[in-house]
Order: sequence, then structure tokens, then C-alpha cells
Amino acid sequence: MGDPKEITTLQATTILISTIIGVGVLPLPLFAVRAGETSAPFVTLTGMFLAAIGLVFITSLGIRHPQKTIITYSQDIIGKWLGRIFSILVIIFFLILTSLTAREFGAVVVTGVLRETPLEVTVIVMLLLASISCRNNINVFAYIHNLYVPMILAPVLIVVAFSLKNANPLYLRPIFFGSDLWNMAGGMLTVAALFQGSFIITMIIPSMKSPKKAIKASFWGILISGGLYLLIVIATVAIFGPEEIKQIFWPTLELARTTAIPGNILQRLDIIFLAVWVLAVFTTLFSSYFFTIHSIKELFRLKDHKVLSYFILPCVFFLAMAPQNILHMYEIIQFIGRIGLLITILYPAVLLLMDFLKSWRRKRNVAKSS
Amino acid sequence: MSLLRPKKRTYKKPQLLTPSKLVHQKENTPTSSSLDETEQQIKEILGNNGDLKIKHFKIFGSFSAACVYFSSLVNKDSINKDILRPLMYEPEHLIGKEKPLAQLIDIILTETLYHGEAKVGGCLDDLIEFMLRGETVIIMDGLKEAIHIGTRKVDKRAIAQPETEQVILGPREGFIENIATNVALLRYRLPTPDFQVKTMKIGRLTKSTVAICYLKGIANETVIKEVEKRLSEIDIDAILDVGYLEQFIEDNPFSPFPQTQSTERPDKTVANLIEGRVAILVDGSPFSLLVPVVFNQFYQTTEDYSSRFLMGSFVRLARILALVFSLIFPSLYVSLISFNPELLPTEFAVAVAGGRAGVPYPAVIEVLIIEIAMEILREATVRLPKQVGGALSIVGVLVIGQAAVEAGLSSPITVVVIALTTIGSFATPTYTAAFALRMLRFPIMILAGIFGLYGVMIGIIFIFNHMLSLKSFGVPYMAPVSPSDYQGMKDVVIRSPLWWMPKRPDFLHPANQSRLTEKDNKVLEHNKVGNDQREGTSNGGSEGDHNTSGNNNLN
Amino acid sequence: MWQNLREIKVAMLFGILIPLLSGCWDSKEIEQRANVLAIGVDIASEKERKKEDEISHLSKKFPIPDEEMIKVTAQIAVPGEIPLGPQQPGGSAKPVLVIEVVGHTFEDAILNLQQEIADELFLGHLRIIVLSEEVARSGTNRFNDFLRRNPEIRRTASLVISKESASRYMKIVPELERIPSLYLADLVDNLSSLGKFPPSFIGLFWTIYSSKGQDPYLPYLEIKGKSSIQLNGLAYFHGDKMVGKTNPLQIGIFMAVRGIGRGGYGAFVEVPDKNESVLVRAVSRKTRTKVTLKNGKPHVSIKIQYESEIDEKESASIQLSDSAILEKIEKATSKNVKASIEKLIKSTQKKKADIFGFGEHFRGKLPKYWNKNVKTKEKWNEIYQNVTFDIKVDTHIHRVGMKSK
Repeated sequence: MGDPKEITTLQATTILISTIIGVGVLPLPLFAVRAGETSAPFVTLTGMFLAAIGLVFITSLGIRHPQKTIITYSQDIIGKWLGRIFSILVIIFFLILTSLTAREFGAVVVTGVLRETPLEVTVIVMLLLASISCRNNINVFAYIHNLYVPMILAPVLIVVAFSLKNANPLYLRPIFFGSDLWNMAGGMLTVAALFQGSFIITMIIPSMKSPKKAIKASFWGILISGGLYLLIVIATVAIFGPEEIKQIFWPTLELARTTAIPGNILQRLDIIFLAVWVLAVFTTLFSSYFFTIHSIKELFRLKDHKVLSYFILPCVFFLAMAPQNILHMYEIIQFIGRIGLLITILYPAVLLLMDFLKSWRRKRNVAKSS
Repeated sequence: MSLLRPKKRTYKKPQLLTPSKLVHQKENTPTSSSLDETEQQIKEILGNNGDLKIKHFKIFGSFSAACVYFSSLVNKDSINKDILRPLMYEPEHLIGKEKPLAQLIDIILTETLYHGEAKVGGCLDDLIEFMLRGETVIIMDGLKEAIHIGTRKVDKRAIAQPETEQVILGPREGFIENIATNVALLRYRLPTPDFQVKTMKIGRLTKSTVAICYLKGIANETVIKEVEKRLSEIDIDAILDVGYLEQFIEDNPFSPFPQTQSTERPDKTVANLIEGRVAILVDGSPFSLLVPVVFNQFYQTTEDYSSRFLMGSFVRLARILALVFSLIFPSLYVSLISFNPELLPTEFAVAVAGGRAGVPYPAVIEVLIIEIAMEILREATVRLPKQVGGALSIVGVLVIGQAAVEAGLSSPITVVVIALTTIGSFATPTYTAAFALRMLRFPIMILAGIFGLYGVMIGIIFIFNHMLSLKSFGVPYMAPVSPSDYQGMKDVVIRSPLWWMPKRPDFLHPANQSRLTEKDNKVLEHNKVGNDQREGTSNGGSEGDHNTSGNNNLN
Repeated sequence: MWQNLREIKVAMLFGILIPLLSGCWDSKEIEQRANVLAIGVDIASEKERKKEDEISHLSKKFPIPDEEMIKVTAQIAVPGEIPLGPQQPGGSAKPVLVIEVVGHTFEDAILNLQQEIADELFLGHLRIIVLSEEVARSGTNRFNDFLRRNPEIRRTASLVISKESASRYMKIVPELERIPSLYLADLVDNLSSLGKFPPSFIGLFWTIYSSKGQDPYLPYLEIKGKSSIQLNGLAYFHGDKMVGKTNPLQIGIFMAVRGIGRGGYGAFVEVPDKNESVLVRAVSRKTRTKVTLKNGKPHVSIKIQYESEIDEKESASIQLSDSAILEKIEKATSKNVKASIEKLIKSTQKKKADIFGFGEHFRGKLPKYWNKNVKTKEKWNEIYQNVTFDIKVDTHIHRVGMKSK
């Protein structure tokens, strides 16, 4: 990549955390409750485990090829053309993911805060911000995530802490199997799809100071972001109960609306929460945008990614405008999320398996010839 | 990437390096052996100047010579006593000795002159330059070489308190314009051989002396080399202040944020040298330029370190708050008033609505108007003489503010908000950084006017991203916050006790890291041990060799 | 080259943004919003119905909702009449404007209201919504949809039921506070911190309403005298319809069963063997609810522990000097409380209103039973009628104040 390998394990962890925590925070309790009723936290937990498994695949692939990203080593493992085809699929998926993130963000802002502002404007501003930031190199990318993580975590924790005063633990029972298993399995997939941002680790490993420690970064990254997700789900379910959550688009936002800080400094926390949530969305969008343009750069062996970042902006924008309305958008998001699991979990798994077989065969050949 | 920029600047080869053609023609011309001829040549170049003095005399009564100098630049006393007298009165120990013309210079330099800075020079253009710097040149008939003696004396101001960086606790000395004095101020705080001062001359007309100061073995070598390289690439006619240099060596000239720090305080300079930074001094400027910098040092003062750590930390927290205030307070106000009044407590919201009821403009415009008025007022106050300035600021703030409210131009809350913001921006100790934030306030305000809190957030993200992408001489601007550095973090939001910070901040990549002794710290030990036990080790805590040697003079 | 141009571009971007100011779509100055501070909802009378104009629909061309028309009374702050800073004495002008409109639905009424007001209505500061008993009895669900959809509405706004018509509450002029609705809102908000009422706000009302195993409750207000408002009891609901109310003392009982720790109510307890009584005030309570199946029938056992103190005795003939008498009082109190609880539960059972949330206990703790026999809210309400109870009350009097006798 030409940049010095400076990314520390801490920075890799923060990149993962802030990438994972994004727009998904708001509808997450709704997804989880739809699938698991009172056992929504359990569904979240299983989703998190599924995502963790996928992350382990991709991280160990990265560790086995510490100089390359999935775009380049896939060509080594499954052949040049097949690798390229799958890489294009990955890129397209992340392109769509980027645009859906932007769109979902725009939908929340337009519904919740800026009701008169055109959706296009809010989306394009956010995309511009991301594309301008994407012109920096990967080290600055790491610095940006590193700085924002505490700012993202703190307000969520504050809201959760203050809201718990109204909690009713009865809403959380029964903890396991509050719904039928098929439903819960589907929910698990939906929740796991919220962790798809963790795929970014493949881009980071080549720039890490010590790529061996990537697995540690993945572990902490998924633990902290997953822990936060779990906390949010527990808090929302304990306060609203599953039935009420089903009636709200963004239960997390509603949680912030119900919460008041003692002393009445601000009457409502939701606007503040949304403001900080912009930060979380930005980091997620930034990551997937960055991943997209860097993958394109690597696939076509371009020298510079800076012009590219403006070049794909219209692409992302028009994709973002594709869903007709908020309901349509969430249908697409769930669908794309499921497809994405194939790409972010199954594809690395297959790659890893083939890589193992290859090196095993090579070892056997070496043993034979000697 | 820093290589890119200077190259561009040296693109056009200037036609003429100096406008003075005469000296240019005479470049490397050896002086003539004839006194008259040399005198003629000098007069040709400098003859119009009234303060050029040529005094003819006879060395030891036999060799005819001339003493040439600018009367405005030299110490006449020294010329009379230390140069003319010994040369004209033949010293006793030389009387009767043979003095061949060929050895005259040698005799003069080693046996006659009472002056430490006497040298031999041969080229006419060199001699003229020396004269222009205040040296006295002695030309002797029959000899090709001439003697030049350092007799420069220029009036300088006394060392005074730094005007822009006042402290309550801490040293009171500030730099002055004279670079020799400034280096002296640094040297007396750093009596160590590691303290190095490299000089170079920059500026075709001003030929300003630029000194690069650093501590060898602490400052990072690559940083020193980079500083030298960037400085040596500067080609400009005049360097009148250290600010001229700043604009040439900073990494990103389009950024609103300063990427070097200039300070008037020798103690601050020394503290930064010890952390591993490089200081640049310029003759004629009472500021030193410190590189590389990170953002957090713009809200730190030397006072933080000289006061106790609780006090230092508290003051620093207040300063950070003021910094945040000065950046986003007006835009927060705009977005609360125009976009999200539901965030305000009901009683207050209703009252604010009452206050604004007569104001014809939207909140953004109102805030912008008052803000611009405030900027004008501030600039006017700086320019005015001190005696008038105080009166004007009172008139401006009280009368205009009050009148604006009564005229329905603005609501009382707006005035309060702007006043707080302005005061907040004064609390940032570094003028340049405060200015950056002051300037960035306006785009954020406009964003707030369009998108409310969302716009404020976008603006803040934009600024943060920009700051994170900045680098000052290879050091990330937001270090040690991001990329984080544990040792450096102890000195960001709070100022940790000095004994908690055993290492120099890592983000400057110093060659030597240890600040405190390797031994375990004993500072807190006397708290654990009773007083009676402490008597036994009364000198125990500070047993290190704190200069008990004889040469501990206090001059 | 690019590196330097970037900042210029950024500067240009901001330059482009300035003209955008004209399109600050959502910018609405605070003084140009009509801050609705409180809303009262009544059933429109025959006379008032005629006043409706064709604003949100043409008459007779629209499937008119079959519910009765409502009358919405809104209290809007008048900017300029509420001064900043310390209040000057005098100020004859009224700080709020009270407007009445009619409509078929809530949103319909709000639209009608907007038609009468120059500034845009702003509901972000809506602190309290008063429903008259009449409206509450006909069902609250028709208002919830609008209130939930609108992002301006606070989830922490209060919802109360009034005995009189709600419009009277909007017009009341309290002596203690300049802005009537703020007084009303503070009154309701303070109820729960004084221990007079369980936490109650509109969001909680919705939460309880939508959960399967419980029914909502709201404070019930009554106007006393000219301008004072009294908490007169607890209105309880079956589904979204109000079905009954308790008397104020029963609120304390209700809070005990619901497991709300903060006590606030005091009651006279007759000292055994003497014809005199003392005032015992609950300080805090601890409630344990256990649900079981007795022969396949749902059964609830409740254990309540009271921490109380004696605030006052009625006459000098009672000597509060030894612990034996306290023990007697404790016992008497427990007995009284137990009887009241049973009475309260009985009355709610009759109305099929499980305001205590026993259903949630069954749903959470006995999921198998729930999934097999109950499943829906309606079913639970049926079953609730026949739930059996086993109540145990334990009172401890720890404090008697500063007097030794």
C-alpha cells in the first residue's frame, strides 16, 4: 500500500468497533424482538456468535496472508479469474451496503429530526463527508476511528444507564425460546448481518504493525460492539416490553426519548443521541466506502484512490435513492443482509478451507519429494 | 509528501539574486594592494552613505592604513580604544623590533590588537558585507588582505515580560529581537553540551540569521534534518519575522490550524526542546518557532507545569471547555432556537421566544451579525492605543449590546451567547490556535443554519477529520489522543503530576525517553512513613547530586 | 497538486453552502412556533359539532369515523407575555392563549386548530394531555396513533383523566405559577416523586397498554374550589377504555401491590382496645409476587413488607411509649391493608382490568401455561376474573418522630 505499517492492535480494535456500530443500532431491538419476543437478547447473542465465527475466518485468512487483502489472496487461492469474479461480488455488495447505510441514515433523519429537508440533501451531505474523508490514507483512517470510538460508546452507555430506572425485568422473561426456533434462527441471521462491517479487518491486516495480533483485535472488537448491542437490546426490552417494541421503528431512539437526565438540563435526550449517532453512522459509512474504493483500487491495480472516491459517489447516491419508502428500504436491508452473510461468512470459510487444503497438500508433497 | 511543495516554490529562477549590481560585479574580486585603489572601490559602492567613515592613519607610525566602518553600526568606543590606540601607539614590546610589511598582519593580529573578533579577509564583496554588518575594516597600503574586526553595536530593547503570554506563576523573561540575546536566554537555562545551535542565513536582502536549536540525543534526527532541509530550500528576499519562515515550512498551508507554535517565552521554548522539539529563532523576531507540534499543546501553558497538578489540571479543563465553547456555542444556540426548541426546558423556551419576539431576522443571521460586529470590535481594540482601547471595549460591549437589544436587532440571549463565545476564545492561550477556532465558527454556524444539530455534527466531523489528517513534520496532529500514546495521554486533558510522567511523549519519537531517574519514585514515600522516621533520612528523598560542587555560582 | 487544491475545494464547498441558507428547510424560529403547552380532549357537544368546517375533508364525502366527535382545547404560549428573567410584578396580559376546536380525530382537530393560528403549531413542548372521563371511557386508542407517529411529542408528557370537562383545566388560572399548563404538568410530575402516584407518563401508558398481561392506569384529577386541582384517584382501564376509578387512598394500596417502593400515603389505624387511632404513613414497601398454578388454575401470592412511621396520634390517651403497643399497631395496620388490597383486587377483577400486571408475571414465569392457555390479552382478561389470591402483609414501624410518647 505504500504507507508505513503503523496500525496498532488498539487501532484495529477501534476500527472494528466503530465500523460495526452504525445505523443498525436504532432498529436492532425491533429486529431482535420480531424474531425472539422476550428472548431478543438471546437472539442478539447468537447473532453475535455467528458474526464472530465469520470474523474468525476472515481474520485467520488475513493472518495467513499478512501482506494481502481478500481481493488479492483470493486470486492466489481459487485462481485468478474465479477470485476476480468473487472480488467483484464483494465490491458490489459493499457498494450496496454503503448506499443502504446512507439511505437508512437519511430516512431516520428525515423522519425524526429534519422533517422538511429533502432526503437527497441529507444523504448527499453524508456521502460527501465520507468521500472527502476517504481521500486520506489508511493510517489517517485508523486515527479517525480511534478518536470517535469513545464518543460513540459514551452516549449510548449514558442513555442505557439513565433509562434503566424505568426497567421492568419481567419483560425479559422467559429468557430463552420466547418464540419458535425458525423465527429465532432468522433473527439470528438478521442480527449477524448487522456485524458485516467487521469485514473491514481484511483491509487493515496488511497495514498492521503486527498482523499476528489481528485475532486479538477481532476478539475485542466484536466483544465490545456486541456487548453494546446486547446492552441496548436488554435495556429496550426491559423498558418497553416486546409488544411495544414491535410498534416502533427505532426503539433505541425511543429509549433516548423516554430517558431524562436528572436535573432537567436538557428536556430530551433523543436529539442529542441522534446527533452523536451521526458520528456512528459516519464511521460505518466511511469504512464501507473506504473498503469499496480500496478494493476497486486493488482489483484493477490502480495507483491512486483519491479520484476514485469522487467517481463512485454518484453510483452510491443513486443506489441509495432506489428504495421507495422506509418499509421497502427495511425489506431490502434485511434481504441484502442475508445475502451478505454468504459473502462475509461463507465465502471466507470456503477460502480458508481451500487454503488449508492447499498448504496441507503442499506440505505432503514436500514430505513426499524429500 | 513535504518534498512536493518546496519544489514548486523554487520553480522560477529569479533573474537577479540581489538588486545591488555593484557588489555583484565585484564578486570575488580580491582587494587591491593599493590603499587608494581599494578606497576608491569602496567609495564607488558605498560612497553615497553619510554614515560611512574612512579614517586614515599610520600603523606604528610608519604604515599608512585606513579604517573603514559605518558609524551607525559600530561601537566607537571600542574602535578608539581597542583598535586605533594600539595600532597608532606602537606597543612597548615591539619598539625597535623589525616589522616587515609581509608580517604586519600577523603582528597586528597576535600582538597588537585588543580584540577577540579580528580576522583576515581578502575579497572586496566580503569586506563590504562585513562592514554592512557593523564590522570595522582596516586596509593597509601595500597589502592585499585586510583585517576586519567585529565592532558591531546595535541598540536593543531590554528583556521584558512577554506581552502575549502572561503567566501568574513562572518566569517573567521574554525573548527580544536580538538573536544573540535570545540564544543566551536559552543557553543559560540549558548548560549542557547537548544543546546545539545551528545557524544559517536566509533572505537575499535581509540576510537574517536563523538559528535551529535542539537537544542532541533527545530530538529526533530525522526531524532536525527535515527542518534544515525545509529551511534551506527557502529563497526569498526578506525574512522579517519568524512568521515568514512558518509559512514556508508548514506541512499544509491551507489548513486553518497552525502547524508550528511560536512563543515569546524562553522557558516554554526550553521545555519544548527538552520534550524533543526543535526551535527556530530568527534575528529580528522576538518569537521562537517550535516544531513539530500537536494540537493539544495549543491549550497548554507553562503555568500548567509550574503550578501544582490539581490546579494545573483544573485550569486546563476550564480551558478545554472554553475552547469547545468558542467553536460551537453559537451554532448550538442557532440549532436549538431554530430547529430543536424542544430540547430547552419549557419555561426557558417560552421565555426565549418572548425575547426574540421583536427580532426580524432568523437566528442565524442575527448571530452572524452580532458575531461579525464582535470581530470588528476585537480588531479595533487591538489596533487602538492602550489608553483608548479599554474605553472602546466598554463602549462596544455595553452600549452597543444594550442598544442592539433595545432596538430589536438581537435578543438578549444572543448577546449573552456571543459574549460567552468571545470570552471563551480568549481563554485559549495560543493566539494562532484561537484564531483558527474563531474562524471555523462561521462555517459551522452556517451549517447549523441549514441543518440544525445535524449540521453542527457534520461540521465537527469535518474539522476533526481534517485535524486527524494533518501532520506536522511527520507527527500526527492529534497525537497523543489519536493515534493514542499512553505516556502522552497523561498530559492531555489533565496535567498529571510530574512524577507520573517518567517518559517523554512517544509521539515525537525522541531519541531518549527517560525523564525521571530509573529508580522508583520516592515522592510519595514520606506520606507512608511517619515523620519521626523521616528524620533519619532527612536528605533521603533528594539525595541525587543536586549540584553541591564548588562551581555553583549564582551569576 | 491535488493536496493543495483540496482545501480550496472545501472552502468553495462552504461557499456554495451559504446560498443554501435560503433553503434551510426545517429552520423555524422559536418565536414563530405556536408552542402548544397542554391539550384537553372532550366529547364535542351537539352545539359544538355544528362548528366544524370543511378543512380536512368535505362533509359527507369521506367515511367519517364512527366515533363521536371530539373537542380539543389547546393552551398556546403567547411569546412576549412571559418575560425572561425574574418576573416583574403586574403583567396584566394573559400569558397563554386557549383555543377550542372540534374534529373527528385528534389529527383532524389539530389541523382545524392550525387553520386558526398564524404560526406553525409546535408540539415539542406539549407537557400534559388531559382527557375527560367521558372520552376515556369511550376509548383512548384513537388518540394514540397520532401521538405515537408525531416525532415532536414527548414520550415523557403526562396523560391524565379529568372528572370535569378537560377544557376547564385549560382555562384554569392557578395562583402559584404564571403559566397554567406548567403548573398542571409540575403537579402531575411531582406526584410520583412525592410517592402519591406510581410513575405515569404517556410512554409508560402505551407500554403497559401494548403488553399482553397488564392494563393501564392513569391519574384521575378533580377541580376543587376555584383553581386548585386534586388528585382524586386512579383511573383504571380495560384495554384502552377507562372502566373505573379508585379513591385516593387506594392508590397507595395499588402501589404496594405493584411493587413501587416509595411510600407516601398515610392512613388512620385504630389502636386495638382503644377507640382512638394514629396516623401511620408508609415510608417504603417491598413486594414479592409469586405466581403458581393451583390445580391448573392461576394463583397469585403476594407478600408485602411495609416500613412505616407514625406521624400523628389522635389523642393523648394513647401512649406510644413501649414497643408492645407498636406491635399491636403494626398488626392492625397489616390487617387493614390486607383487607383493602383484597377489596381493590376484587373490584378490578370485576372490571377485567389487570392494572397490577399479574398477567406479565404469568407470561414471564410460566411461559408454558401462558402459551397453552392464554396467548392473547383478551383471553388473559377473561382469566383474570377468576385468579385466586393469597395476600400477606407485614408492617414494621421503625420511627415515631421526635416525640417520646
